[in-house]
Amino acid sequence: DVFTGTAFIRNISGALHSRLQVLGGGAQQLSCLHTSASLESKNWERRNLKVYPPQLPNEQRRAAEIHHSRRQIKYSKDKMWYLAKMIRGMSIDEAIAQLEFNDKKGAKIMKEVLLEAQEMAVKNHNVEYKSNLYVAESFSGKGKYLKRIRYHGRGMFGIMDKVYSHYFVKLVEGSPPQMEQKTSFDQAKEYVQSLKNRTIIHGL
Amino acid sequence: MSVSLCKVFPHLQNAEVSLDVQHPVPLFLPVRTKKRYFIPPAVGMKGKGEENTEAKARAAGIVFRQQYFERPINIACTAGIFDPYVPPEGDARLSSLSKGGLKQRTEQIRQSAASQLAIRKIKEHDSEFTTKDFSERAQEIFIEAHNCLTQFNKEKLHSLVTERCYPEMTRGNRYKTICWRFLESLEPPRVVHARCPDMVSKGNLYGQVTVRMHSKQTLAIYDRFGRLMLGSEEQPKDVLEYLVIERHLVNPYGRWRLHGKIVPSWAPTKDPVIKTVMIPGPKLKPGEEFDALNYSVPKPEAVQWNK
Repeated sequence: DVFTGTAFIRNISGALHSRLQVLGGGAQQLSCLHTSASLESKNWERRNLKVYPPQLPNEQRRAAEIHHSRRQIKYSKDKMWYLAKMIRGMSIDEAIAQLEFNDKKGAKIMKEVLLEAQEMAVKNHNVEYKSNLYVAESFSGKGKYLKRIRYHGRGMFGIMDKVYSHYFVKLVEGSPPQMEQKTSFDQAKEYVQSLKNRTIIHGL
Repeated sequence: MSVSLCKVFPHLQNAEVSLDVQHPVPLFLPVRTKKRYFIPPAVGMKGKGEENTEAKARAAGIVFRQQYFERPINIACTAGIFDPYVPPEGDARLSSLSKGGLKQRTEQIRQSAASQLAIRKIKEHDSEFTTKDFSERAQEIFIEAHNCLTQFNKEKLHSLVTERCYPEMTRGNRYKTICWRFLESLEPPRVVHARCPDMVSKGNLYGQVTVRMHSKQTLAIYDRFGRLMLGSEEQPKDVLEYLVIERHLVNPYGRWRLHGKIVPSWAPTKDPVIKTVMIPGPKLKPGEEFDALNYSVPKPEAVQWNK
């Protein structure tokens, strides 16, 4: 269905208001309520469909955000997490370079996902320079497992899981934000300050 | 394979049944079938001519039930612009007071006989057709249609714009915001061309009328994040357009709807998009280098095209 920018925002805000009112009123009865309980909920892809209202010329230019994911990758989510944690906060060129020369199986798949997302950004989401992106969020999730039998001795068996995972990435336009590097001296100073800030209550 | 499994691990068969539903345990084994010494001739043939079987069945006396078309397809608009109008060069450049401008102004529809014939045909079907108020109506339809585009009012847009024009107008607009304003009309709209083609069968008439309008409009397109992609809100532009309005004349419920636009070959180039775009470079043979200094971007040909 088609929504205008303003109408969509009004719809979302209207839903949020009604949800908040309901929660404030009957908190105990509705605490067990949770929405979107379906197994195939593609919420991450739906974030790409949100339309913002036009910006005024004096406002700061809003950074473009591109959400992309790949589902049911034949790889473990825990092994995928290491790679996802590695590229968090990197610029996209750096991330692609690191993944290209990584030996893990998940690195090749992640590199494909990043290149797809970059192309999508330039073609569909009006991003001007394809190198001007950085990885804002990247994480892995559990996919739907297939179950098989693992045969042991003496007629015993175990259920073997054929492991699948999803990979999600969010690219944002702009240069990557610099993380503040705290030196050990700064941390030591903070520790000493916290010790000095202690007050003794009920003391003489 | 499952038979041997059954013999060696009898208790495992139950486990297979309970856990792994995708491979159900067969209840019986197929025994090798007896060799057939006679194979009927129909088994060997793969594809037969379908008309043969149908004709044979009809000859034999089998009566087929009448085939109902439960979902008839109604074609309410033509697929393109027949015999498009070629606008004369420098149409809006000359003012009415100069000699060349007067000549252009006196080029009325009376010159082209085919347009006159077409208008006569249209007047047969639709008795209230006059070129003067039709041009006014055309401008109103144009303004209404573009207002519906900005509000994404699909139902009203479908009634104002034909099915061929609708995807051209709305492609790629779903996640964008369009702000369009019609400021004023610089010249009164004029009917310049008319044709009456018929589609598929003779007598199935559609009327296509070309209207020329010169007006001031503002257009601004914002992308998904509210950033300006094209145009500007304040700066109005003078636009000379040739609109094609179409109606299915034979249909009593047919309405005059916008069918398309004609862009002449001498039209000035549009404003560029605000962002920088990469264009594919020339194809190089192995060993050649790309010479950026002497390379000129190829410009598209100046051809009239219908939108």
